[in-house]
Amino acid sequence: MANKSLCDEIYFNEFYIAHIQSASNFAYYKSADKASSLDLAQEAFIKIWENCAKIEFEKAKSYLFTVINNLFLNTIKHKKVVFEYAKSSPYLDVNNQSPDYLLEEEEFKEKLKRAIADLTEGEREVFLMNRIDGKKYREIAEILVLSQKAVEKRMSSALKKLRIKIDGI
Amino acid sequence: MENNNNLLKWLNGETSDENLKPLKEIEGFKTIEKIAHYSSQIETPKVDVSKALENLKLKTQNTAKKGKVVRFNFKQLYKYAAVVVLLFTTSYFLLFNNHSSFKTALAQTKSFNLPDNSEVILNANSEISYVQKEWGKKRNLTLKGEAYFKVQKGKKFTVNTSLGKITVLGTQFNVKERENYFEVKTYEGLVRVAYKDTVVQLPKGSLFKVVKGVVGTTNTFDIYEKSWLQKESNFKSTSLGFVLTEIENQFDYKIETTNIDLDVLYTGGFTHTDINIALQSITIPLQLSYKIVGKKITLFNYDL
Repeated sequence: MANKSLCDEIYFNEFYIAHIQSASNFAYYKSADKASSLDLAQEAFIKIWENCAKIEFEKAKSYLFTVINNLFLNTIKHKKVVFEYAKSSPYLDVNNQSPDYLLEEEEFKEKLKRAIADLTEGEREVFLMNRIDGKKYREIAEILVLSQKAVEKRMSSALKKLRIKIDGI
Repeated sequence: MENNNNLLKWLNGETSDENLKPLKEIEGFKTIEKIAHYSSQIETPKVDVSKALENLKLKTQNTAKKGKVVRFNFKQLYKYAAVVVLLFTTSYFLLFNNHSSFKTALAQTKSFNLPDNSEVILNANSEISYVQKEWGKKRNLTLKGEAYFKVQKGKKFTVNTSLGKITVLGTQFNVKERENYFEVKTYEGLVRVAYKDTVVQLPKGSLFKVVKGVVGTTNTFDIYEKSWLQKESNFKSTSLGFVLTEIENQFDYKIETTNIDLDVLYTGGFTHTDINIALQSITIPLQLSYKIVGKKITLFNYDL
């Protein structure tokens, strides 16, 4: 296991298939730019392919996200991010079809969307990696080269900010 | 705080069903639940993994086709430049600079004319070299050993030796430069000798001598006295060692001595035509004896 090399195409492909989606998502959380997120992720994978001999297989994942982060910082100007929901997403209470409820939920979603956009980049990427990619804190910490405590801190401050924005507390 | 930790655990999917109940009683949990639920519905651009991988391979192939970008190696260029420069300079020196040199072996003298018709007679075991091309601009030559110069009037004429520098305009003089021995004799005109940081002007009939770094005190000589040009060598208070070296130069013999003080001073001369007569003219006044075996001469004390 220890001598898996990313220069070996089989292992590289395996690594690629396992992480391309979350890499692309990660870029997306930062920029909310659909057009560039995949390109950014692709570019990061090319970097890994070119430097395959220098990167240990075990550390490739955090390397990947670090590269994306750097590419993002280098290329994309920080701008207001705008996210969108999936078209056919179920409401929390699937049984409640009353128009009032549906309207209320849509309003909530709108508020939430804006609140997420207002989070700091660090909070947003952690929060969305957890919510959308279903990644555990430990994995996020590993990817972002942070301690798990730091990830949890970002998570809870994100949650706090969202609640304040939505409930006005 | 406690609630906060539990919430984090819940978001991380670490909460079992039985622990869910107290969580639901937290104030505002409804909102949190909604946040957790709807935030996960934010749409991210879906990656077509196989297609993206294909694209990636295409891209890396393209870069691979380009090959590794090898930076233009300037060091390599320097290497070639150095070779070219070397080629040019050596060919320049070989073809145009024409370093002429004349050399004599042991027991051999040579006379020749320089490009300006100045005469040079080169004594045995000596060498003269000069740059033919520059001769018109400055008469500059290098001497190793002994030579007699009869310089045509003209530009400054310079003889460089390892020990000193002789500058003249037009005269006749003799330069002798052997190991630890440097001597200039003026036969006509005025000769300027630069030795280390002193400059000496030598008028006709005077000499300048440095032996083992010590400037000699005698400074005149008889210009009609026979010299090596008449196949004779003459010395005035010169240590025996130098005299013997001169014999070696003139006769191509090897001289060995046993128990002889080589610093004893000798005044006199020897002929270049006969080794026996020459040796006798040295050994008799100094009360020495000699023996010739093949090309080897051994000198020893008389009474031994």
